[in-house]
Amino acid sequence: MSDVFRRIEIPIAITIVCTLLQIIPFYVNIQPLASTADTFRSWMILVATCATFVGAISLTLYNVKAIQRRSEDWYYSILVIVFMLAILLFGLPIPEAGLGDQNPQFSFLFVNILTPLGSTMYSIIAFFITSAAYRTFRARNIEAAIVLVSGILMICKNAPVMTTFWGPFVDIGDWIFDVPNMATMRAVIIGTALGAIALAVRTLMGMERGYLRGGGEE
Amino acid sequence: MAILIDGRIFGLICLLIIMLSVVYYIQRAKTGAVPKIRRVAGVDAIDEAIGRAVETGRPVYCSHGIGNMRDATYGPQTIAGLSVLGYVAKKCADVGARIVVPCRNPEVWPVAADIVETSYKMSGNPDAFDIDDVKFLSPDQFGYASNYLGLLMRDKPGAHIMVGAYWAESLQLAETGNRIGAIQISGTGNQHQLAFFVVATDYCLIGEEIYAAGAYMTGEIALISSIAGQDVGRILGVALMVIGTILITFGSNAITQLIGW
Repeated sequence: MSDVFRRIEIPIAITIVCTLLQIIPFYVNIQPLASTADTFRSWMILVATCATFVGAISLTLYNVKAIQRRSEDWYYSILVIVFMLAILLFGLPIPEAGLGDQNPQFSFLFVNILTPLGSTMYSIIAFFITSAAYRTFRARNIEAAIVLVSGILMICKNAPVMTTFWGPFVDIGDWIFDVPNMATMRAVIIGTALGAIALAVRTLMGMERGYLRGGGEE
Repeated sequence: MAILIDGRIFGLICLLIIMLSVVYYIQRAKTGAVPKIRRVAGVDAIDEAIGRAVETGRPVYCSHGIGNMRDATYGPQTIAGLSVLGYVAKKCADVGARIVVPCRNPEVWPVAADIVETSYKMSGNPDAFDIDDVKFLSPDQFGYASNYLGLLMRDKPGAHIMVGAYWAESLQLAETGNRIGAIQISGTGNQHQLAFFVVATDYCLIGEEIYAAGAYMTGEIALISSIAGQDVGRILGVALMVIGTILITFGSNAITQLIGW
């Protein structure tokens, strides 16, 4: 019996039905179909919410194993578990017990630990951009030279000292941003959308199976 | 009450044209008329990157972005990333390379774990699969990124493959991969991250190439032919833009009205 439920045709059939249920009511005004599609979207949120527990369980198991095995840097796993449990406990949606998003400990952890850590990670992108730009801005061929010149002109456009020195840097920078950059971006957007439609067609036909067990049966 | 919803009829017609083109090319391929597809260097380099990782005794890292599978824009990118993961996992299982899959999204994690596990089973080596190598790191974007960077620095993978929907963490991951000397293959449809991937990785799949990658890697003629079908949509799009530009220049908004039909 369990082999029947492991057959790849089942998720393919579910995918096809769910996809059609979302596509058809977008274009066609059939009320029962639209309400069924709404119900399916609610189910989707439920499934995604349940998956959060799967993630938490996986994270806990991984870190508990790391502590048990004394893997490299295992003590960080203790921190992960302690903070995960703390956030979970203080954030439980029981306002009568003083818990939930208004809980002072929950707010403290969120405002003083999670937010600054996230901001730090985001801000270090500046250093990564610098190192990437240093490596890339070398005129090794025509394409790289174009990138180099465009990059320098954009830096000049955004640096007040350069625009004060020579005003047209602003116009040149704006032109690069609005014309060649915009054209390229739109080409990528159109191509990406068409690629996604082709992927959807292959998925609808049950041909695209790469996301299902690598496309094969066991 | 009209059955078709106003303002969406033209979109439906365009969608049907593209879908029918894809179906047509797939059917045509069955008669032996296979369209010629240009080589995608990034996809061809995946085997080489895995080979290099095996030679150096280092693991292969393969991630599918931080998007979920539900979103209309980013979901297809995640599915494309999972298709690439399926191929990479099979290759790694065949040649005995350790594959590590960092995950951000809890709903994608079981799918990724199933893909890798099945790949090991199909290669006849199920005991080599370690569930801890498909790692759920954190649902928080930068929690995921910092954990991923730590893993890269500790494990120093020989190959680092990133195909899917990435945002601000793209450059952090790609630069760190570059720093540790991994062969890097990246791809995303998020156009604002493409520049980062292009400069920091060895090969980059640009936009639509990530969707074609799954079909391209399988080598199945019908799937490869479907890629040609989307060219019809491209021709349609370009034709509409050119005609629209000319008509607008001469004061006619016929195309705008047609699109709003």
